[in-house]
Amino acid sequence: MVIGKKVRHYLGEAFALLLSLIVLIPLYMLFIGSFKNSAEASRFNLALPTEWNIIENYTRMFKLGGLSTAFKNSIIITVTSVVILIAISSTSAFILQRRKSRFTGLAYNMIILGLVIPGSIIPMFFISKFMHLTDIPQIAAILNLVVSQFPLAVFIYFGGFKGIPQQIDESAFIDGSSLLRLFTTIVFPLLKPVTATIVIISFMNIWNNFNLTLYFLNSPKTFTLTLTIYNFMSTYNSDWNLVFANVIVCSLPVIVVYFTLQKYIISGMTSGSIKG
Amino acid sequence: MPGLLLYFILGILPNFIGLGLSFVNTNNFNIKNMTYAGLQNFINILTNPTINIAISNSFIFAGLTTFFKVGTGLVLAIFLNQELKTRNFVRAVFFFPAILNVVAVGIVFSSLMHPLGVINNFLGAIGLETLAQDWLTNPKIAIFSVSVIEIWMWSGFTMVILLAGLQSISKDYYEAASIDGATTFDKFLHVTFPLIMPYFNNALVVNIIGGLSSFGLIYATTQGGPGNATEVFGTFVFKSFGSGRYGEGSAANLLLSIIVLIIVIPTYKYIAGKEVEL
Repeated sequence: MVIGKKVRHYLGEAFALLLSLIVLIPLYMLFIGSFKNSAEASRFNLALPTEWNIIENYTRMFKLGGLSTAFKNSIIITVTSVVILIAISSTSAFILQRRKSRFTGLAYNMIILGLVIPGSIIPMFFISKFMHLTDIPQIAAILNLVVSQFPLAVFIYFGGFKGIPQQIDESAFIDGSSLLRLFTTIVFPLLKPVTATIVIISFMNIWNNFNLTLYFLNSPKTFTLTLTIYNFMSTYNSDWNLVFANVIVCSLPVIVVYFTLQKYIISGMTSGSIKG
Repeated sequence: MPGLLLYFILGILPNFIGLGLSFVNTNNFNIKNMTYAGLQNFINILTNPTINIAISNSFIFAGLTTFFKVGTGLVLAIFLNQELKTRNFVRAVFFFPAILNVVAVGIVFSSLMHPLGVINNFLGAIGLETLAQDWLTNPKIAIFSVSVIEIWMWSGFTMVILLAGLQSISKDYYEAASIDGATTFDKFLHVTFPLIMPYFNNALVVNIIGGLSSFGLIYATTQGGPGNATEVFGTFVFKSFGSGRYGEGSAANLLLSIIVLIIVIPTYKYIAGKEVEL
């Protein structure tokens, strides 16, 4: 009986590892493919390369890929968007949660509806163009990316503020604190874990964004990393080894972040769908 | 408050402008050149054979991927809820695809599903050459192939949502059920499943919305092709945008929004009505 249990346990462990191959084999193929020469890489097998063209492939890819511009663009766009998003979603959620009126109720419902309805990108583009935001495509992209993440951020912050008793506001007001001071020095710091969650979700969503950026950023000068992969793939589609190397290097930043902050990333990214 | 203003201008206003754009003729973003088109844009898209393909593909894609993502996610979550040494490792591995961008995943699978790729090689190696397919270039099966990619990418994510539900259940319930002589299956049906219902509901709804409005993965792997075989709403809208048919694109997007609302809200409410209060 005891032995049977042990055997079953080890079978479970073995089965778990076997299952993970479904994810690992495609990644292994990507990795090994990026070391092969062009002809071997287009045979797409799992065999080890006969010649290891590591340095050669990666230097060629870097020369062709325009990666440094894209990396810079990705950083600028993502960081700016996340900072703006945190600033406006936290303040908006605070006001919406604390002031109960017909207007705030309606506004909150409209924002929550944004969680369900897919964004209408053509009209977003239209308005951005009308306001001359598209003259500097990065600004149009940043503002629209912020808007795309706004409903979820407000929703999560709203839940967070609910947990902070209103008495804290009142006693702060009695001590002569202004609304701004109350928010920046007392309420906002209390929600550090919530802010961390939103930073993780929006960082991943914006960094990996393809839907919106494809509409707004259409020249190599403004490409983000995600867009350069797409562009590289369409340009060098006969050199799979270089394409693979490009995918690896472009994905490296999120992979590094995932390995270092794995626990936080997993719980952060899913918490939007758990609390709902 | 400036936040709300930004959201109203770029978040909510577009929906109304979209409604407006759906009823005008325009091929540039110049208000002076617009003329009222009535229902013409809707007639155009609804009589366009491509939209029929897009609608049915969106439903196939959303239905299949939601079913398998939630199904696989649930099985994996239950399996990994046991005390296994490898649990954290396997969980991290399965979640991994969710952090990659759709283009990267699309490229990996374009090569795996290539006629000479690993999948066909594998089938050949185990003597099932007859099952080898042109996964992404055969119009009959391409939409199913891209569904498989989507399932591969997001099952781990769904698993984590459901795992959080499983871990929220107190062991006492299972002990009480055992005393009452419940079998493992009884326990699942009468204890586990009702208690993870809210998590199940969220997982379901998130995946339905994601499936119906999918764009990136399909665009990155097939661009809606071969021909129009994998056209969905997202690719249809993007192509309308690319060719300057803004009115038609907006009309298609509006149609999608309505479909999403009609499906998602009743589903969510129906399941939420079945949740048990503790």
